[in-house]
Amino acid sequence: MTLLQTLTDSARNLAVRSPWIYRINAGSCNGCDVECATTALIPRYDVERLGCQYCGSPRHADIVLITGPLTAHIKDDVLRVFAEIPDPKVTVAVGVCPISGGIFRESYAVHAQVDQYLPVDVNVPGCPPRPQAIIEGVAQAIAIWRQRI
Amino acid sequence: MNFLRIFARNLLRGPSTVPFPFGPAWTPARMRGRVQFKLSSCTGCRACEQVCAPGAIRFDKTPEGLRFMMWHNTCVFCGMCEFYCPTDAIHQSDDWHMAHAVGEKYGMAIREVIPYTACTGCGMKTLASAPNPIGVVPPFTPEEVEQQRNQCPACRKKALAERGTPS
Ligand code: SF4
Ligand code: SF4
Ligand code: SF4
Repeated sequence: MTLLQTLTDSARNLAVRSPWIYRINAGSCNGCDVECATTALIPRYDVERLGCQYCGSPRHADIVLITGPLTAHIKDDVLRVFAEIPDPKVTVAVGVCPISGGIFRESYAVHAQVDQYLPVDVNVPGCPPRPQAIIEGVAQAIAIWRQRI
Repeated sequence: MNFLRIFARNLLRGPSTVPFPFGPAWTPARMRGRVQFKLSSCTGCRACEQVCAPGAIRFDKTPEGLRFMMWHNTCVFCGMCEFYCPTDAIHQSDDWHMAHAVGEKYGMAIREVIPYTACTGCGMKTLASAPNPIGVVPPFTPEEVEQQRNQCPACRKKALAERGTPS
């Protein structure tokens, strides 16, 4: 039992180095996406210092950033892409749109809140949140992901 | 030779990456972040509820008084509520540390009640809200604010008229 425990622990320590980030745009106004891109691409903020990297395929992702109020048009596609992301994954809702609908709240065309359909773990309020706030959310997500793996 | 200049500059000034989250982050002085509510200054005029585009602010009548509720998870941090508030009751601080685990989402709200009281003039049930300071010359002294707070709208008007202020 202890050997198994040690092996599991060392396997976990090996595995939890670098989570990969995937970004889903659920009908956002692009404000939050620009901030997410800023967080990743601009040396001033550089989320890769936390060991994360943006990836292009949902099948490689560990942490999902979701932006936008889940419009009726895109809802099925978002759910399909989300289902392709392997477990364990951690979901971060970036901006008030996915959290509550924000400025689009109670519109006929949106299905916010997103956590009615997907398990969300961290909320980052803001419209859009500043890059440092997104980094803060990603840091919380990494902490959750380390426990979950 | 340009790269040498950049190289020397980077060597002297260090990287341009901000240290956050491993160090403190710079916050602009006019950053519009977390909303703060000061119950003792609120006049209960509900202007903030009117101008809030996403409906993050709501007033409800409860048996205890007028309840103010504000959700940070709906707020778009536009600053309209602070702009239209006649007093300093609602204010956007520069605190942007609002990322939270989903379990705490119902804590991301402000809930305060402006209580009912009995008017000191006529005994009628009235809201113990702060008086509206707009157009009052000379401005209210703190004692006058406390006196007006415990009066009904009619008695407030009377007190203002006796004071010699056009109301
Ligand atoms: S939270 Fe604001 S900036 Fe972000 S997608 Fe919604 S409306 Fe756009
Ligand atoms: S800042 Fe704007 S969205 Fe937020 S509570 Fe005030 S008026 Fe509403
Ligand atoms: S005084 Fe300010 S906070 Fe109070 S109801 Fe009026 S606008 Fe809102």
